[in-house]
Amino acid sequence: MRRISNVVRIFTRKLFPFMLLYGCYLISHGHLSPGGGFQGGVIFGSAIILLGLVEGVKATEKRFQEMLLSLVKNIGMLVFVLAGFTGMFLGGFFLSDFIPKGEIGTVPSAGLILYLNLTVGFMVGTGIAVVFYRLVRFGSND
Amino acid sequence: MTKVLPIMLLLILGFFIFSAVNIHYGQPVFDSSKYYIDHGVADTGALNIVTSIYLGYRAYDTLGEATVFFAAALGVFMLLRRSGEGERD
Repeated sequence: MRRISNVVRIFTRKLFPFMLLYGCYLISHGHLSPGGGFQGGVIFGSAIILLGLVEGVKATEKRFQEMLLSLVKNIGMLVFVLAGFTGMFLGGFFLSDFIPKGEIGTVPSAGLILYLNLTVGFMVGTGIAVVFYRLVRFGSND
Repeated sequence: MTKVLPIMLLLILGFFIFSAVNIHYGQPVFDSSKYYIDHGVADTGALNIVTSIYLGYRAYDTLGEATVFFAAALGVFMLLRRSGEGERD
């Protein structure tokens, strides 16, 4: 493997937890401020991709196993659909809001929207990381 | 002659840019947009109106988007495997 410059390596190592934190912040505050599931999920996934580019996919896979990421992706999709059917069985329409709205302006509010944001966010983040793993390992011959 | 044409093009481009400065987007407000602006927070509980639309009023549309992304990721996951890996059947 080619050596990567020290500046990039050290900065990535310092920046990585903050990128994960920022992704989680965007996902969990999607109903209060600009951002949301897709954007926060992409930042979450790009943190993992950055680590994979700098330290190599093999070293990254020790921390974020591909099967675990894939499992999170599948569970996210499943929870989204099941939440829709739950709203339908509780007397509403598909994806109707069955959770109380709570106090407007705080993080645990907006009923189902917060949980849909969480599922979409983690699905997008882990899905992008899985796609990156597969593409890199398919291209390399080792 | 060769210098006149670029200058003319630049003038036309500048005219379009300066005439686009004063466009007021979203004026007047559509009826449906006005409904979302007035009732969005009360209906869905989300302060961010964009979120209240794409996960509140139109969550079904977002489910479709998520399905497209999920199918793309699943396709890469299933197709891009090296020979001998995970082939059981």
